[in-house]
Amino acid sequence: MMLTAPGAGIIILFAWLSPSNALYFHIGETEKKCFIEEIPDETMVIGKYRTQLWDKQMGSFLQATPGLGMHVEIKDPDTKIILSRQYGSDGRFTFTSHTPGEHQICLHSNSTKMALFAGGKLRVHLDIQVGEHTNNYPEIAAKDKLTELQLRARQLLDQVEQIQKEQNYQQYREERFRMTSESTNQHVLWWSIAQTLILIVTGIWQLKHLKSFFEAKKLV
Amino acid sequence: MGSMFDLSAAVRLYLLSCFVVSVDITLGLGQSQDTEFTFQLPAGRTECFYQTATKNGSLEVEYQVIAGAGLDVGFTLISPSGYKLASEFRTSDGIHTVEPTEDGDYRLCFDNSFSKLSEKMVFFEVIVEGQPGDAWGDEEWADMAEPESMVEYKLEDIRETMDSVHRHLERSRQLQTMLRAFEARDRYLLEDNLWRVSFWSSMSLLVILTVAVTQVYTLRRLFDDKRVCKP
Repeated sequence: MMLTAPGAGIIILFAWLSPSNALYFHIGETEKKCFIEEIPDETMVIGKYRTQLWDKQMGSFLQATPGLGMHVEIKDPDTKIILSRQYGSDGRFTFTSHTPGEHQICLHSNSTKMALFAGGKLRVHLDIQVGEHTNNYPEIAAKDKLTELQLRARQLLDQVEQIQKEQNYQQYREERFRMTSESTNQHVLWWSIAQTLILIVTGIWQLKHLKSFFEAKKLV
Repeated sequence: MGSMFDLSAAVRLYLLSCFVVSVDITLGLGQSQDTEFTFQLPAGRTECFYQTATKNGSLEVEYQVIAGAGLDVGFTLISPSGYKLASEFRTSDGIHTVEPTEDGDYRLCFDNSFSKLSEKMVFFEVIVEGQPGDAWGDEEWADMAEPESMVEYKLEDIRETMDSVHRHLERSRQLQTMLRAFEARDRYLLEDNLWRVSFWSSMSLLVILTVAVTQVYTLRRLFDDKRVCKP
């Protein structure tokens, strides 16, 4: 049983690191792919990615190309960079938001040699978890010594807390939306009145001017 | 004696590894795996995403265009065998379910090639469900967690937690009702706005035409009145 512990540990480590069957996409050499996450404040986000390189000889995608890394750049809603780091071919990045809003997660490969891609593409498996999905429950169970029932209850509480946080954020966004709508409403009203008035005034001025012009030229 | 002990230890190691690998798969696949992304689709480009599915599972794709002139994008869903399951041209949102799924990679493509200038922001969600009768669900916690000790456990603790969850959910529901009312109100306000903009724009148009006609008429009258021969 002593032997199994590190073995199990390593396998759990892989679970922690690699997204098993996540969505994947292809990225070109100099291409930058960005994803937007709109999240409330004090929310943790964990992103895991795994890369595979197309091998022309084998006609398939190779696992874990060494020396090929991805550069991850994360911007907060004020477009300030909160994380800008290089990771290996498999990586895990994490950040916690301090302001609510749209955070942008950008990935691009750090490969400078064209030969590495050789006209092919890089396959990136990406998985982004937000909020209570980032909690590692087996770890929490071990740390707080919880029974299964307690662990389930803890998970429910976390889920509900996350829902409440997102709803509060929703309330704040809705208020902003309402203010924008009302200001649009006001603008439309004032501009229309102003336009009509200007139109009438311009019309009258034109007539007066032309009348005096024609009288001056002795046409009328 | 020694070899027998090794054998049972090896068997146990093997079983534990299998178990943990299935935990690994569960953590990845789970009974239901939900992936959602919001990304910018540049003008004139097509972006594709791939999702691996297992046989006899289910796949649900939901997408919405949330920003960009026209708020529309082309969407295609192609099965692993190359069969086009869904093909939409210039829609602003859609939802597609594939059940049962084939083994392999499903391809979803978002097409913005019809637009020369505007970049679209697209939100999409892919929900994959593993095979039915997937019993791994939450059983793995039974072994990860401490053993249950019913003697220490009071029904009170469970009741308290349940109560807390219940109160939070109630609060959630109330907040949701309030937000729903606000959304309805905002929507009606915007619909009224649309009517008002249309109405006042046509009024404005009438005023322009009236003013133009009046101008021309008045000018002509100026000439007509003074058409007196000057000596």
